[in-house]
Amino acid sequence: MGVEMDTKEAAVELTEAENELYDRQIRLWGLESQKRLRTAKILIAGLCGLGAEITKNIILSGVNSVKLLDNKPVTEADFCSQFLAARESLNTNRAEASLVRARALNPMVDISADREPLKEKTAEFFDQFDVVVVNGETNEELLRIDTICRELGVKFIATDVWGTFGFYFASLQKHSYVEDVIKHKIVSNPDKKKKYETVSIPTQREVDYPAYSVWLDFDITAPSYLRKLKRNGPGVLLLSVLQKFRSTHQRDPNYKTRAADLKLLRGIRDELLPNSALSDEALGTIFAQISPAVAVVGGVVAQEVIKVVTKMEAPHRNLFVFDPETCAGYFETIEAK
Amino acid sequence: MAAAIDGVFPDTLQELVKKSKVLVVGAGGIGCEVLKNLVLSGFTDIEIIDLDTIDLSNLNRQFLFHREHVGKSKAKVARESALSFNPDAKITAYHDSVTSTDYGVTFFKKFDLVLSALDNRAARNHVNRMCLNADVPLIESGTAGYNGQVELIKRGLTQCYECTPKDKQRSFPGCTIRNTPSEPIHCIVWAKHLFNQLFGESLEDEDISPDAADPDAKEKDEAGGDAEPKADGEEKEKAEESKEEKEEESKEEKDGKEATANGNVVRINTRQWAKDCNYDAGKLFNKFFNEDITYLLRMSNLWKTRKAPVPVQWDNLLPDGSSGDQKDVAKQHHKVWSIEECGHVFANALKELSASFLKLEGEDTLAWDKDDQPAMDFVAACANVRSHIFNIERKSRFEIKSMAGNIIPAIATTNAITAGISVMRAFKVLEAKWEQCKAVYARLRPNARNHFLVPDASLPGPNPNCYVCASDPAITLKIDTKRLRIRELRDEVLVKTLNMLNPDVTVQSNGSILISSEEGETECNEGKLLSELNIVDGVILKCDDFFQNYELSIIISHFDAERDQTLFEVVADASQLKPKEEEQKKEAAEEEEKEEEQKTAKKRSANGEGDSKDDGPSTSKRSRPTEVDDEDDDDCLVIEEDEDEADVVVVATDKLSVQSPPKVGSKRKPSEVIEDEDITEILDSSDDEPAGPTKSKRSRLDESLSNPVEVISID
Repeated sequence: MGVEMDTKEAAVELTEAENELYDRQIRLWGLESQKRLRTAKILIAGLCGLGAEITKNIILSGVNSVKLLDNKPVTEADFCSQFLAARESLNTNRAEASLVRARALNPMVDISADREPLKEKTAEFFDQFDVVVVNGETNEELLRIDTICRELGVKFIATDVWGTFGFYFASLQKHSYVEDVIKHKIVSNPDKKKKYETVSIPTQREVDYPAYSVWLDFDITAPSYLRKLKRNGPGVLLLSVLQKFRSTHQRDPNYKTRAADLKLLRGIRDELLPNSALSDEALGTIFAQISPAVAVVGGVVAQEVIKVVTKMEAPHRNLFVFDPETCAGYFETIEAK
Repeated sequence: MAAAIDGVFPDTLQELVKKSKVLVVGAGGIGCEVLKNLVLSGFTDIEIIDLDTIDLSNLNRQFLFHREHVGKSKAKVARESALSFNPDAKITAYHDSVTSTDYGVTFFKKFDLVLSALDNRAARNHVNRMCLNADVPLIESGTAGYNGQVELIKRGLTQCYECTPKDKQRSFPGCTIRNTPSEPIHCIVWAKHLFNQLFGESLEDEDISPDAADPDAKEKDEAGGDAEPKADGEEKEKAEESKEEKEEESKEEKDGKEATANGNVVRINTRQWAKDCNYDAGKLFNKFFNEDITYLLRMSNLWKTRKAPVPVQWDNLLPDGSSGDQKDVAKQHHKVWSIEECGHVFANALKELSASFLKLEGEDTLAWDKDDQPAMDFVAACANVRSHIFNIERKSRFEIKSMAGNIIPAIATTNAITAGISVMRAFKVLEAKWEQCKAVYARLRPNARNHFLVPDASLPGPNPNCYVCASDPAITLKIDTKRLRIRELRDEVLVKTLNMLNPDVTVQSNGSILISSEEGETECNEGKLLSELNIVDGVILKCDDFFQNYELSIIISHFDAERDQTLFEVVADASQLKPKEEEQKKEAAEEEEKEEEQKTAKKRSANGEGDSKDDGPSTSKRSRPTEVDDEDDDDCLVIEEDEDEADVVVVATDKLSVQSPPKVGSKRKPSEVIEDEDITEILDSSDDEPAGPTKSKRSRLDESLSNPVEVISID
């Protein structure tokens, strides 16, 4: 990369088997990145469909270890997207049920399951990891974990998918990375046509990613934000409604009580932001976790984890929204006032 | 199985998902992901087709496959794995090529929707035509590195896959390769040609010896009017000398050439000579890297403006007795070998290759394959020695393999995202919400509005001049009718360039049959020049491909091709046929426009509306990525900029360059970069078969016949 980086991880050469297996990705992100991936320890908390997608992508990339944490059982709804748990594993622990298929994805990665509740995990536990990814949790719990992770210097990503709608929030603290800055050089020849040449210059950057609390304090009804909301669609608003639903009812909207929950959702929407652009139709697509949408969000989150671990390219800062209506994926930069 | 659970989907969508029948074309990086998304969403009637088998290097992303599946059918293993996710689904798997005549229009008509996850353009073109014919909506997808794209193709409503011209493979003039390389790729192409000259299928345009007829080597006296060229006597003498030698050489070449049954010229002299030398490493090395270079040095005009090459001597390279203990050098894929190390690798590879070559029977030859260790070693070593000679940066074997094998990098996340968007679009297609099916591009870096999964602003309608989906499509074919034969019209133009499978061609004015799809019926025409059969400027040909149900009129426009120029050029839009000057003016105007655009872009970012550093897809035709291939397969070339086509600004943020649609047809005669094939075709069928010994290949005719099948290697 040409730029000085801390290279303690990079000392060990990849084996021939690793070179072969990871050939196509080494050609994209380079040997150094692959070596960094090999040392990374990742926690995935919440083995719903989204957890399974992230787990799959992270394991395939060739990290050192992945811990799957979940105290919930496999449910019928999981069969909409949780492909790591077999049909027969219904009602058994979701993390443990995911182990066999997760391991088959890449025998070179150390994969383990933990069935204790996330709530009971303390700083000592989170300190084992380089990156912590949590999904399906309430704002209160996310805030607690974020605070712990920031004290430890562990990178934290909170993410969720409801139906086909999804988001993540990246709390990466001070993150330094290298990105190739592309410059255009005009190679002029007086007698010839102008030629353009691109030169890529690896550039070291350091960016501060705010804490999760900044999102909780963020006022989506602020007039300054309304214009943006109009431009990008109601994604952020939908996120607020769904998070409010979760903290109020201590659960997510359920397809079994579809009609009643839709009514509750409309109520929250009208209370949070009357006359908003958030349509009833959009509220009708937030049940369970729908496989293709989970694949998109899980792919994006995993790519962010890979960026964080390899310290290559800028992780999006800092709130990602996937709009299932248009398939647009964008981020908002949420900062403290 | 979302659709199987009441209340998860809105009612209408649930019903549509349950009753729809879908076809997935390709079980590679995107295909695996698409299949998973489909079964989990509750589609129960799915067919999947892929002719490829599983390779170790697939396993970093094609997650339905594991180590124990290497060598097995992708479609079949994908089916098994997907069934374990949803045992209620019904999946039919075909380990076959989608261009096989078993899958005609009737086959395609069975489906409500086709999702294509292919890795090469020829198969994409074919599936495009079949879906247009069957009037089945097609969701087309592709990835390369961090970039992905998904678009809907629906007859009469949207652009078809062939409505916009696609980028051509980067190619180099023969004299750059033979005389004046200036980049590593030039030396890599040369090294592959050298391989073919010695062991492979020898092609006329793959000569590796110095080109004495290089226009650059001649005195440029035209510019000086009546003034004498300023060359001194000695140089003039040399020029004379080289002219003589040229004549001598061409005579020699003529003798050395031998027309084979299929009319191709095989140069046996270099090959025979090497064999007669018993493949002595020192002799061969000195011929290619010393004598030929010394010859080049005598073409002194070439070196007036360039740094002259420095010949290398085998004996100076290797101190006595140092061979043997350096055997492992070739295994150091990431190291840039020294010239001495290149010498060792060259000698070892030569030994292995000549041994396999001599074992072949009859006319059989070796086929270059990036995954064949000695073949790759040979090219890496020779390319680096030549780079050293011409003072060009040397590369590691790993890097050379990328360039020589056209490897497109591929990662799991981009495939997952792209396939996810594909199936999200499938929902909209089933609901017939066409306006919501705009193309989506996935990018590593965000655009100025912080989008990195970017839907297009509109759904572009069909191109009225498209030579595939327009009614009564027609193209103009600029062609040297005095030099091209009927066989080449069929193989190179109709099959390889226009992607027909088995065309019938008649002359419009009198209805006479020029090319018949019936085997042997028009064989007597094959060896004839177009002009001999009175196919000259202004003649209109009617082509009909029965299987694709595709008819096309071809208007012949004759031109006299110059040296190093392609013998034909397809002009899809007749308005593009313009006098040269006008064309240049237009280009100049476009260039200014471009600069204007750049300025505006800069202003925009200065105004704080965001940093437009990205290559994020824009809706302007200019920068819209017209093609992203599904990763993996190697043979899809990363689309690169032809260096002379400088009217395109490449704004690449990662390793894939994205550029505007180029003009159809290349102006220069190529010694193509990598394969002598169209950009995305798969010839070096490395991924069709498990890595093994270098395969032998028969005559060129056989190859072109079997091409349509081989090409459809699906990732």
